[in-house]
Amino acid sequence: SRHSTALGHSPASLVPCRIMPVRWSRYNPSYLEPEVKKELYQKPLEELTKEEREQVELKAVRPIKAAPPSVSSSVFSDPMISKFTNMMMKNGNKVLARSLMSQTLEAIKRKQLEKYHKAPENEKETIECNPYVIFHQALKNCQPIIGLSNITRGGKTYQVPVPLTDNRKRFLAMKWLITECRENKHRRTMMPEKLSQELLQAFNNEGPVIKRKHVLHKMAEANRAYAHFRWW
Amino acid sequence: MAAPAYPAWVTRWVSGQWRNKKRPPRLRPPRMLALADKVANRREQATDATCITEMSVMMACWKQNDFNDAPCAQEIRIFYDCVAKAEKERKNQDENTLSSRGNLPSSKVNKLLGRFPQITRYV
Repeated sequence: SRHSTALGHSPASLVPCRIMPVRWSRYNPSYLEPEVKKELYQKPLEELTKEEREQVELKAVRPIKAAPPSVSSSVFSDPMISKFTNMMMKNGNKVLARSLMSQTLEAIKRKQLEKYHKAPENEKETIECNPYVIFHQALKNCQPIIGLSNITRGGKTYQVPVPLTDNRKRFLAMKWLITECRENKHRRTMMPEKLSQELLQAFNNEGPVIKRKHVLHKMAEANRAYAHFRWW
Repeated sequence: MAAPAYPAWVTRWVSGQWRNKKRPPRLRPPRMLALADKVANRREQATDATCITEMSVMMACWKQNDFNDAPCAQEIRIFYDCVAKAEKERKNQDENTLSSRGNLPSSKVNKLLGRFPQITRYV
């Protein structure tokens, strides 16, 4: 389920982020997050686990927040892709960002299909053609495992290696990809083409974004002596 | 013949100690002879950083494998588990339990003392 359950923990398996903003929210805290996935409603009552049964009973008595227009119950919507599109968006031009994203996915699919049809028979299974799978795997490969934070001790600021939260890792991966595509391209290449190129490279664990991640890891490794400065 | 034992005021008077209006120091009332409801602010010692061993193991693995993530997947998983456990423990920490070193910080002690203040008068 996409929201934090009433017991206070949120399942981290599928969903990267909340639906509603946390700060400046005008809803009463008793309001629950809306459940958008259709499969959960189609399950008969007997198949639900104890937690899900409790959740259903809670929903019968508590009010529910309105679902924002950015989430949808269609099979084609993906919260990570929406987040990436939002990060690519400039000046609120969601139409352009979304079209760029779909052109990127199309470009990935075209490139992979070309490779598929050119490859010999035994290698055809190894080629991944699903652009969504490639996107997710590429993002996962780009996520840093450990980060650096500035901690001041005795007047001097040190770069201390620090574990990162899941949200921060995802954000950094997406940010690096977008900055890389915006800055290091020829002025005549289009964004979808450059993005698809970067995503395919990241999928194969190569390319400038992966290099940036390795640089961060190397710096963390060099500064591992300062790890004791952390207090959490 | 022993020196005659005069009272103390006589000795003082004769010595001229009080001639120039030198008086004994006035006794200011002492502070209330009871414990205060606050303790002094003490700088809290920094708690230890968590998961350092797992991190160093992971970094050693990285050094050997040229910072690839695939061969180090086991160490990375262990590190993530440790971090998740430490995070959960931080969240579930009750505010009134002792810290890892076995002492309460001064702010918490003041709160506790404020709940049971010293009785200064009986009404």
